[in-house]
Amino acid sequence: MDHLKAINQKARRIQEHVSDLDVIGLESREGPNIPLGCSLVFAPGWEVDSTGGTAGLCQPVERDLFDCHLACFWPAHVPDQLNHAPDWTGKCAAAQKDWRKIDLIFP
Amino acid sequence: MSPGRGRTESGRNPVWGRMRPLSLPAALTSLTLFLPLALPAPASAQQSAADTANTGIAVTDPLVIESCDRCHAVDEDGMMTRVSYMRKTPEGWQQSIRRMVTLNDVELDPEVARDIVRYLSDSHGLAPEELRPGRFEVERRLIDWSYEESHEGDEDVDRVCSSCHSMGRVVIQRRTKEEWDLLMAMHRGYYPLSDTQGFRRFGPPAPGASDTRHPMDKAVAELSGKFPMTTAQWTSWSATMRPPRLAGTWALKGHHPGRGPIYGTVEISEAADGADFTTRVSYAYARSGEQVEREGRAIVYTGYQWRGRSFEGGDEATSLREVMMVERGWGEINGRWFAGDYDEFGPDVTLLRADGPVVLGLHPVALRSGSTATVTVHGVNLPTGLGAADLDLGPGVEVVSVTRSDSEVLAAEVTASDEATVGARDVFLAGRPVPGHLTVYETVDRILVTPEAGMARLGGGAFPKGFAQFEATAFSDGPDGKPETDDDLNLGFVDVEWSMEEYSAVFDDDDIEYVGTLGADGLFQPALDGPNPDRDGLRNNVGDVWTVATWRGPDGKEVRGRAHLIVTVPLYMRWEPWRVQEMPLPRRRTSDMGNER
Repeated sequence: MDHLKAINQKARRIQEHVSDLDVIGLESREGPNIPLGCSLVFAPGWEVDSTGGTAGLCQPVERDLFDCHLACFWPAHVPDQLNHAPDWTGKCAAAQKDWRKIDLIFP
Repeated sequence: MSPGRGRTESGRNPVWGRMRPLSLPAALTSLTLFLPLALPAPASAQQSAADTANTGIAVTDPLVIESCDRCHAVDEDGMMTRVSYMRKTPEGWQQSIRRMVTLNDVELDPEVARDIVRYLSDSHGLAPEELRPGRFEVERRLIDWSYEESHEGDEDVDRVCSSCHSMGRVVIQRRTKEEWDLLMAMHRGYYPLSDTQGFRRFGPPAPGASDTRHPMDKAVAELSGKFPMTTAQWTSWSATMRPPRLAGTWALKGHHPGRGPIYGTVEISEAADGADFTTRVSYAYARSGEQVEREGRAIVYTGYQWRGRSFEGGDEATSLREVMMVERGWGEINGRWFAGDYDEFGPDVTLLRADGPVVLGLHPVALRSGSTATVTVHGVNLPTGLGAADLDLGPGVEVVSVTRSDSEVLAAEVTASDEATVGARDVFLAGRPVPGHLTVYETVDRILVTPEAGMARLGGGAFPKGFAQFEATAFSDGPDGKPETDDDLNLGFVDVEWSMEEYSAVFDDDDIEYVGTLGADGLFQPALDGPNPDRDGLRNNVGDVWTVATWRGPDGKEVRGRAHLIVTVPLYMRWEPWRVQEMPLPRRRTSDMGNER
């Protein structure tokens, strides 16, 4: 950054942040190997994003859950309506209000 | 499911609802029913003659044949379709049986299912050398691990599998090439989206590339080469495998994350009630002196895979699942005991046979020059009535007096002189070496927070909370005064002040306000799951933060260390086969936590 000069507002904000060593999102830094050990990984949208963080997740997850259950489920994370849990979201007319009615599934 | 309820004419239980939570008595396995490992199509998965002639393992147990041969045919050589051509851990076989139950409507009495798991784990299992690189999977360790680094694996193959689950599940299986193919086919049949989410998501490469295979085809080729059915390790282990004789007194040493070292004993007895062994466990935390007494039961699969469960005073809430390996020679057993809705709590343990005196370790492991402290040496069957002359802590460290000397602990007041040379010293008790070292240091220069990458899961509303335990270890830069060099001195577990800081991934990051709290003991408690109306876009309370440890020395010196914590969403399906009877429906116990944030 020594030879670059910020000329607009966004660039100036970046310049302010990169002077702070704690700003990891703007550094090229090797993160942990995801998934961590025996954990699952909700690639690419739920558990961690493509950078190994949470800033880029599909949020809130409940907004995505219903679509995924019906049409594009992640096989290891969300029960599918084909085989494992045909009525998984049956009690949840609106995820935002009814998310507590979702069951934990033991496939 | 209570045995005898709703029996059919054949004496077997009727088919149960597919997603019905099973409620078996607390036991080592939660198996209820069984049917073969196959797609709905007849399980006449036809292994090619060339592939299977020399690689299958005959199924000889009448119980397995009777239970499985309705779908899994057995040929004249005793080869059973699918089953004969794979080898797995007890958990792997349990998981397969559970799938037979939930998707193929199979029924079996729990006792029969346990016997089947036992037989298959013993005769179609893994050699110790085969399990060891992937033991983190069965020990439920949330570690930083790379398939590429540990197995020189292909990146595309890693993605094919770990887009959905840990590679740990994969590397602790052995199959014929056709079986790896059929495993892919099973995924595509039962979990159709795995095809687009993983198997073909990243390929094939553009025309003209040197390798134009789809990632899943690369995976079959690589996995059948790296993890084949027939291996020298299994052939060798099969020849020597037998039930281990473990009865007797064992010395226990371990480390409980967040609480420090533990030392004690385990009395192992042969059991007559279906378990292989019963245990009486007694240990103490070296830092606090807190004493723990537990009783448990265990089965040893495949001659070395210890699977047990123990309790304090029979209290279910204190249950720890024990997953350990009995080392060749039957002189050491090591692994992890764990609990928690995400298996996040519990110590790493090592048991050493204690027919005679066993010295386990000392506490603390570091002493500042010019300081006085109480040092304890822990063991089993130690000589008693020892004096100051019997403890040798090395040059510059004087044993002033011995305040306790019994068969398990020797405690001594010791002083490190101002002139003591900085460095680690071998320690001897009555001429016997004490594992580890006593390190004399001048200053704490660095604090390491572990795990360096932690993960917690929101919960308390509809799903259980997943906690994260952190701890701090101090280091001195050593004689060269430079950090992270070979002469750095590990000063062990230290008390620190815990706090959190924002991990700035985006502008105006505010995760720290929502994710949860970090306690004075380094235990992170995540916030409530579900959409948060107080947050932009109804975001969940997910986020990235730093967990920061601040150590303060006697002279006011301050040293900080930190680790990255990801606080993320719950899991909606649980694949651990033992978890069914353990986990009450979370909504039942958390219904009164509606507005917690």
